[in-house]
Amino acid sequence: MNNTASVVIIGGGISGCSIAYNLALKGVKDVIVIEKEYLTSGSTGRCGAGVRMQWGTELNCRLAKYSIEFYEKANEVLQYDGDIEFKQGGYLIVASTEKEDTQFKKNIALQNSLGIPSVYLSPKEAKEIIPHMDETKIISATFCPKDGHLNPFLATQAYADAAVRLGVKFMKYTTVTGIKVENGKVTGVQTNKGFISTPVVVNAAGGQSKLIGGMVDVDIPVYAERHQILVTEPVNPIQNPMFMSFSLNIYCQQTPHGSFIMGRGDANEPRDLRVTSSWHFLEEMAQSCCELLPLLKDLRVVRQWAGLYCMSPDRQPIYGKADQVEGFYMATGYSGHGFMFGPVTGVVMAETILGEKPSLPIDKLGLDRFEKDELLFEPSVV
Amino acid sequence: MRIEEHPILSFDKGRRVDFIFDGKTYEGYEGEPIAAALHAAGIMVLGHSHNKQRPRGFYCAIGNCSSCLMVVNGQPNVRVCTEKLQENMIVETQVGKGDLR
Repeated sequence: MNNTASVVIIGGGISGCSIAYNLALKGVKDVIVIEKEYLTSGSTGRCGAGVRMQWGTELNCRLAKYSIEFYEKANEVLQYDGDIEFKQGGYLIVASTEKEDTQFKKNIALQNSLGIPSVYLSPKEAKEIIPHMDETKIISATFCPKDGHLNPFLATQAYADAAVRLGVKFMKYTTVTGIKVENGKVTGVQTNKGFISTPVVVNAAGGQSKLIGGMVDVDIPVYAERHQILVTEPVNPIQNPMFMSFSLNIYCQQTPHGSFIMGRGDANEPRDLRVTSSWHFLEEMAQSCCELLPLLKDLRVVRQWAGLYCMSPDRQPIYGKADQVEGFYMATGYSGHGFMFGPVTGVVMAETILGEKPSLPIDKLGLDRFEKDELLFEPSVV
Repeated sequence: MRIEEHPILSFDKGRRVDFIFDGKTYEGYEGEPIAAALHAAGIMVLGHSHNKQRPRGFYCAIGNCSSCLMVVNGQPNVRVCTEKLQENMIVETQVGKGDLR
């Protein structure tokens, strides 16, 4: 193994691979990505794979828009010999409470001001987009045709393949056990396969990122929340967009393969790192789905799984460096949306590490924002 | 072809009933798997593979393999190896992955 690196990235999900690719693209040599298992084995490979521009804070909107515009051309830019299966079927987000309806009107105004082509719809108009929904359960809806989904395994592989061509090394099935700090500066990473000297460590460890922060005594105010997903047998395409409700805690999408995937989390669960499946989820998810999308009641469930949302206090990512430890950077706290932010994460983190001006104003997303008490909360999370 | 005798299992035949497969009327025994009635009528192709549309026949016989998914009384993705035959059932060859209706 290499025992020196210019940058060590911890985490082989979409974020780690995208950061590695962008660093290498800017000419950084000796970048190493350390992954505890296989690429996408954490939250990336367990996610719902949807991508949307319909957010409630300006920065989340801009991060998502940047990323989706990248995914539109990712096959070509990354010179991927496969297909990341990006399909822009839109997101239909429904409001079932007055509070949500009011929020959605604000969201649409914000999104439109940023060039996001979302629209506000009546229940009848929403039903034209998803004919099998029960429109009597909703007050209004918003729709953005540019939203969609793609294959998280292939998208990550596309980044990883491109990074390898640019000289990035991947160490899979390798566990970080410690980070060495001398005189307030990062000097290396200890793994179960040896020590790597490096002046820069990037924490892209998703649900495990709090543990990685603890290795250098940086308290990252995030916690892991288990979210679960089920997948059904496939049927011929009937639902083009993602169907989503924040208050009813559901998102439901038909994949290109024909299967439906749907998921939710339970904020009251213990905040540990479990990724086991539960029968509560299966019952509750199926019930919500059948109430809102009754046609799906005859579909059989094929399997279910779970993954971790890395929740930040304001439901926006944490990007940038840690002031306490020189050379320690983090890209975490996505609150369930790390996959869709993958492209922009790579760009702004590479720029930050190299001391360049970031393409988007991520200085507002630093770790120091939580000390200032001037948080802008993202209201639209499921 | 039906199993008439078995060392440990008994096959109690139901009454003879009519059912419709792809528009034609066939006979089977009530309560037997739909696939058994089709097989006895000489119908061996129960489904098709998704990518190359190759014919798929009777395979696992226990509802696991998805080789025999058919449309039964309008419902897609019915495993005919485990679904029991009833009088006047309408059984159809499934095209593609089936339509939810």
